[in-house]
Amino acid sequence: MPPIVRFENVSKRYRLGLTRTSIPAAVARWLRGRTRSAPPETRYHWALRDVSFELEPGQSLALIGPNGAGKTTTLKLLANITRPTSGRIGIHGNLSALIELGAGFHPDLTGRENIFLNGTILGLSRREIEQKFDEIVAFSELEHFIDTPVKRYSSGMTVRLGFSVASCIEPDILLVDEVLAVGDANFRQKCIQRIKELLAKGTTVIFVSHNLWLVRAVCPLSLYLHQGQVRFFGDTDQAIALYDRAIHEARAAKHQRTNGPEHPGHEGDPLVEITGIELRDRAGRLTSEVTNEESLSIHVHYMSRQAFPDANVVIRILRSDGLTCCMLRSRADGVRIPLVQGSGTIALTISPVQLYGGMYYVQAIIRDRDDVGGITSATSDWFYVTGGALSHQEMNGVFEPHHEWHVDVAQRDPDILEAG
Amino acid sequence: MSTFSMSTMSAISLRPLLQASDLVWAWTARTIRGRYQQSLLGWLWAVVQPAATVTVFTIVFTRFVPINTGTIPYPVFSYTAMVPWTFLAASLSDMAASLVQNMNLVMKIYFPREALPLAAMLARAMDFLVASALLVFLLIYFQVPVAPLVLLLLPFVFAVQVALIVGVGLIAAALNVFYRDVQPMLVLVLQLWFYASPIIYPVSRVPEGLRNYYFLNPMVGILESYRDILLRGTLPGTYLLYSVVLSLAICALGFVFFKRVEHLFADIV
Repeated sequence: MPPIVRFENVSKRYRLGLTRTSIPAAVARWLRGRTRSAPPETRYHWALRDVSFELEPGQSLALIGPNGAGKTTTLKLLANITRPTSGRIGIHGNLSALIELGAGFHPDLTGRENIFLNGTILGLSRREIEQKFDEIVAFSELEHFIDTPVKRYSSGMTVRLGFSVASCIEPDILLVDEVLAVGDANFRQKCIQRIKELLAKGTTVIFVSHNLWLVRAVCPLSLYLHQGQVRFFGDTDQAIALYDRAIHEARAAKHQRTNGPEHPGHEGDPLVEITGIELRDRAGRLTSEVTNEESLSIHVHYMSRQAFPDANVVIRILRSDGLTCCMLRSRADGVRIPLVQGSGTIALTISPVQLYGGMYYVQAIIRDRDDVGGITSATSDWFYVTGGALSHQEMNGVFEPHHEWHVDVAQRDPDILEAG
Repeated sequence: MSTFSMSTMSAISLRPLLQASDLVWAWTARTIRGRYQQSLLGWLWAVVQPAATVTVFTIVFTRFVPINTGTIPYPVFSYTAMVPWTFLAASLSDMAASLVQNMNLVMKIYFPREALPLAAMLARAMDFLVASALLVFLLIYFQVPVAPLVLLLLPFVFAVQVALIVGVGLIAAALNVFYRDVQPMLVLVLQLWFYASPIIYPVSRVPEGLRNYYFLNPMVGILESYRDILLRGTLPGTYLLYSVVLSLAICALGFVFFKRVEHLFADIV
């Protein structure tokens, strides 16, 4: 069986700026002596670079990735609305598409006329469209408005009609682009239901969605795109984990790491200096990645000019967006930490980590005995905590405490028993 | 149901177009319905426009600047050429606008793009038929003798004209997507082309020395052939040959050009 969809080293570039120059502008540019135009890198934008994947009949695919990754461009190429700059695309079967919330409706035509037009474009005969007409209108719930021009529809109505037409036609391949972003909960529910029905029938559905919970529930295969390139093609859970991580790393890169609300006093050389902060796992190995079930040891290496019998060490864990997740003070815990003259190490072990997945860093602060002033502080490198799906969504919170579910078996209601 | 597979080097084939003939007819019907929906004159406009023009020309070219058209009365003489000319001019204007007007469709869904300009032309062919009704009336009114057998050649001349319109129209439609001045340019071209064609004057008025260049205008052969068949009852002259060759060449060129650039339309927002 040949693959139903096939991308082979597909690249697509677009020109930036004005797409065509006029004769007067070209002459003016020449007169000004700039006969050489801008270098190619600034003139073009590569929407897709060397993308390859294959789908067998009956397989479905979710396209995930940040905005600008090339997901809609991929759909446009599949729908033959535009051609690749290089590479080959193969499709076997007829295809209907909902791209950027439009199904190719003509605004001046009524819903009814558009259904017939769309159906004709997608290859159905007039009779076939007539047979499906009632089903399409019923699914879209637009009976009242079916003879009104589409330009008067709200975006929600347009999407309902578009999805209705595209899915009722029973294509071999259905492309769906962020349809669920517009539309109320009721419509989304119907959409998902219909997509599941089509999947069960063996239709190849390729859809773009930012709702990763939905993607996990509906589609086992994903293509993760980033800036036009394939980051991952395969199991959805893995793809989402990678996407999650990329979001955390991007956030971390943007974040300005604070060195504490008070900076160590700069009167002369600091007496104590933190030379490094290391993170180690349970076995004592250096690590930058732990799961939230494991333990994490934070080793603070310092050099001191003199001995301090009783220092207050504060360890603070911050998230990639700057949120303080926890702050552990040795003094508050009643632990006495002496600092030796020369070099030494203070270690803190957290077990289990219990932080939700994401990127974090440690800030270590050494304060004097009376907690009046800070002596010195330093931050560690980023470390990544795995565990917890879609942790980049803030609504998931900061940590995942140990927990246990209990279900009470319901008591039989004696009243109901008698009535039955 | 159709199956299509694509690669970057797909052949220029007519197959998708034949499959899309349903679409062409549907779009034509839609265009015709839409055009006269909100107008006062409705489909009468197809007659009023050439008729009004010919009325004015008759007054001008029989009273002010007399032009001798031999045994054929001036109104019939010019109207016979006016009807096909209106078909060409209106078709080309509509075809040039067809893609740009429907860009939202072009950007969202795939269909053979030539369906839009072709439907625009077919909608104007409808107008041509309506305007021809008045022509028939005029032929009867002015008692112009008609040779029935020669009439059989009319469809052939019409087909040659259609080929010419398709060729020029597809080029205009495609170019207009990239350079929007094609539409105003076309207005200018049509104005000049009008005077370069034997509509208001007979070919005999063209000086001998310029005749050869004159016949390079494919509309000359076509319009004179319509006159030969309808007014003189004779076979079309050899000038029709020029028109056939030129029209077919332009048609082929137009088609090739259109298919070459059609995949770029959606990239030009």
